[in-house]
Amino acid sequence: MTVTLVTSDNEQFRVEKVVAQRSVLIKNMLEDVGESDQPIPLPNVTAPVLRKVLEYCDHHQTDPLPTGDEPSADESRKRTTDISEWDQKFITVDQEMLFEIILAANYLDIKPLLDVGCKTVANMIKGKSPEEIRKLFNIVNDFTPEEEAQIKKENEWAEDR
Amino acid sequence: MAAPQAEAPMPPANADLQTTWAYLEEGVDHIMTRLKDGISYSKYMNLYTVAYNYCVSSRMHGNLDSSVGLGGRTGANLMGSDLYNNLIRYFVSHLTELRNASDSMVDVALLTYYAAEWDRYTTGANYVNRLFTYLNRHWVKREKDEGRKNVYQVYTLALVQWKVNFFIHVQNKHTKLASAILKLIEAQRNGETIDQSLVKKVIDSFVSLGLDETDSNKASLEVYKEHFEVPFIAATEKYYKAESDLFLAENTVSDYLKKAEERLREEEDRIEREHAEKMWEDFQQLLDYDKDEDLQRMYALLARIPEGLEPLRKKFEEHVKRAGQSAISKLVGEGGANVDSLEPKVYVDALLEVYRKNQHTVQRSFKNEMGFVAALDKACRDFVNRNAATGTSTTKSPELLAKHADALLRKSNKLAEEGDLEEALNQVMILFKYIDDKDVFQTFYTTKLSKRLIHGVSASDEAEASMISKLKDACGFEYTNKLQRMFTDMSLSKDLTDQFKERIEQSGDTTGGDVGFSIMVLGTNFWPLNAPTHEFIIPREILPTYERFTRYYQNKHSGRKLTWLWNYSKNELRTNYLNQKYILMTSAYQMAVLIQYNANDTQSLEELITATGITKDLLVQILSVLVKAKILINEETDQYDLNPNFKSKKIRVNLNLPIKAEVKAEAVDVLKAVDEDRKYVIQATIVRIMKARKTLKNQALIQEVISQISARFTPKIPDIKKAIETLLEKEYIERAEGQRDTFNYLA
Repeated sequence: MTVTLVTSDNEQFRVEKVVAQRSVLIKNMLEDVGESDQPIPLPNVTAPVLRKVLEYCDHHQTDPLPTGDEPSADESRKRTTDISEWDQKFITVDQEMLFEIILAANYLDIKPLLDVGCKTVANMIKGKSPEEIRKLFNIVNDFTPEEEAQIKKENEWAEDR
Repeated sequence: MAAPQAEAPMPPANADLQTTWAYLEEGVDHIMTRLKDGISYSKYMNLYTVAYNYCVSSRMHGNLDSSVGLGGRTGANLMGSDLYNNLIRYFVSHLTELRNASDSMVDVALLTYYAAEWDRYTTGANYVNRLFTYLNRHWVKREKDEGRKNVYQVYTLALVQWKVNFFIHVQNKHTKLASAILKLIEAQRNGETIDQSLVKKVIDSFVSLGLDETDSNKASLEVYKEHFEVPFIAATEKYYKAESDLFLAENTVSDYLKKAEERLREEEDRIEREHAEKMWEDFQQLLDYDKDEDLQRMYALLARIPEGLEPLRKKFEEHVKRAGQSAISKLVGEGGANVDSLEPKVYVDALLEVYRKNQHTVQRSFKNEMGFVAALDKACRDFVNRNAATGTSTTKSPELLAKHADALLRKSNKLAEEGDLEEALNQVMILFKYIDDKDVFQTFYTTKLSKRLIHGVSASDEAEASMISKLKDACGFEYTNKLQRMFTDMSLSKDLTDQFKERIEQSGDTTGGDVGFSIMVLGTNFWPLNAPTHEFIIPREILPTYERFTRYYQNKHSGRKLTWLWNYSKNELRTNYLNQKYILMTSAYQMAVLIQYNANDTQSLEELITATGITKDLLVQILSVLVKAKILINEETDQYDLNPNFKSKKIRVNLNLPIKAEVKAEAVDVLKAVDEDRKYVIQATIVRIMKARKTLKNQALIQEVISQISARFTPKIPDIKKAIETLLEKEYIERAEGQRDTFNYLA
């Protein structure tokens, strides 16, 4: 059983239903609306990004689906900072693609992929100074010197000494 | 791709609230009212996307260049409250329409309308809930996390609105809904056929509407109780009162009874669907107040429903556990104040009391149904082994139980009547059954039994034998083997003493003087006794007797080794130095000390040490008992004089009191012995298993060991691993080549 996904730039992807259903959004919709051969439009996702996302879904198609928001599952998810080897390789992309993947995972409701993306960003930030982080993500420092001093003071406890 | 149906175009990603909501409202209304027309994938995706875009919009605005999504320092500015409020507005207006339409309806028409709308509404609300997943996941979650009340997931919100804007309004008009249901039920009681599924559906909606304000995942039965149960019970009572009055007036009593039985069957059928849950809830109360007869009735009713009893069994098990725990907590006092002074009898009685009471309930109210018996057993096993008195120790319960059994089997026990003692022992066995560490009980019991036998304080041989046979029934021959051997030794020793005496008389040997003598020869492996570790110089008064017996025994059984347990021996000494003749009952050590005074009325500590060979520490303790009894006087340091003015009310004076240090050491020794025994049991079990299987994986081996040993105690996995190591060293087993976790048996 396959479904057809259509990206915002009008490219069609035929994929196995099990693969598409890694997206909780698509899974819920197929359950609610019922199966048919209509194409499924994804107005927020472009073809290059969807190709990447589907690569992930295909590889993880047999993983157990995350079950709701139980606190216990949430805890263990937060605690592990490590990313599996395959995921690591998968997520080695340029920054723009990384953010697009995160946005798509958020939109399509693919929690494990969202986690991989966010952990990657977290790892990028880890151990860097504010100045380095600004440079990394192309952020303009819009603090006034006073504001900056205030924030530094408030977060003094977290400084690594 | 264009959608197959003509649809309003989807608003752009950064559309304002008005445009966004106009689009969404049309979709929501479609789902809530015209879902049967179907909905296309594209429509569904567009609705989801529009709701999603709106929720993430603040984060996207102005940040599109870097597309980082980190806009807003606090990150707290989640969009959603506008959508949420608009949803509420929509539900209110939708429900007002339903309400107005229902105004003129009553009875079956009303119920039919209500049930149909309920179906449509809940189905639609489920869709809407999913379309607004993103709102639920972020904005609603955040609001709830921040402690805001009355914010719900969209589906729950829909139910809350249904309740407030539709259900309550209809009910407020003379409880129209509930009366309609009651009327239907009455019609059924009068023999009419009704649509039962309709009644069921409406009542189910009552249950669904019982939302727990604090936890939306938990249903409460408040709405159901208030709006249906209370009026239902009142109406039922009224109905049957009227019916039975009428019926009795016209018919005979036996007809009445038949009718009643029939009626009960019908009501049970109703109950099956409506009341089982309610009964489960009230079960606890009945237990708490010992309403035996009510419990009996509840059991009889629920027993007819498949799975009707399972929740009761679970609750019953919890109830018994709690009762057991609280009974012991009460005994122990706050913070475990009385743990050390806890009397074995009091402890055992408290446990038995809980058992008896609940066993009685199982028997009387639950007809000894298997499931309840199992629940009782499980609960008892829990609180017998672990409670406020035991703490984390698994050995405390078996210890106390063994001590209690010892007290019962002693001569000093007040239960003179044979039957009472037997009954008390049976009670001990009830708890024994629940003890996890049966080997600890065994070790304590063996120690206590040996004391009873050696000191001759056992109440009766019959009672002892009866207890042993009970233990044998429970745990098998091996468990009681040692105990039985102890009895055999006792009777052999009696014969041996007689034979020895006879032999002496025949030989006419008088070297032993007039010293009386009796002996117990006890098998080292069967008795939990330790030989003294220190020197002891056998006093010359008894030396001939000692030598004569040793010779006699060696002749009789050459090759056996005799170890003299002076620490367990006792003597009787007659006094000749006082006006009144006393008989002093002493330990062998006391005897050795006192005999020195035959030579001299004054002895220094040094002289006594030299004469008896007893270590200083122990000797000081022995002497202090004698001084306390006023046999000796200790006025100057390290000098002990015979008291020439000793007086006692009794002719027989018992000086053989246990020394404190010994008593305390005993419990520790016993536990040490248990640990030692366990090591061997585990090793022996492993070897037995490996011998049978030849090759086995580590995990399977551990499982097998646990399953074989758990009848006696619960082995700890590290202990098993240690035993495996030991056996590897001793080369009973080896690791299979190339496989770290597989073992081979070595013959």
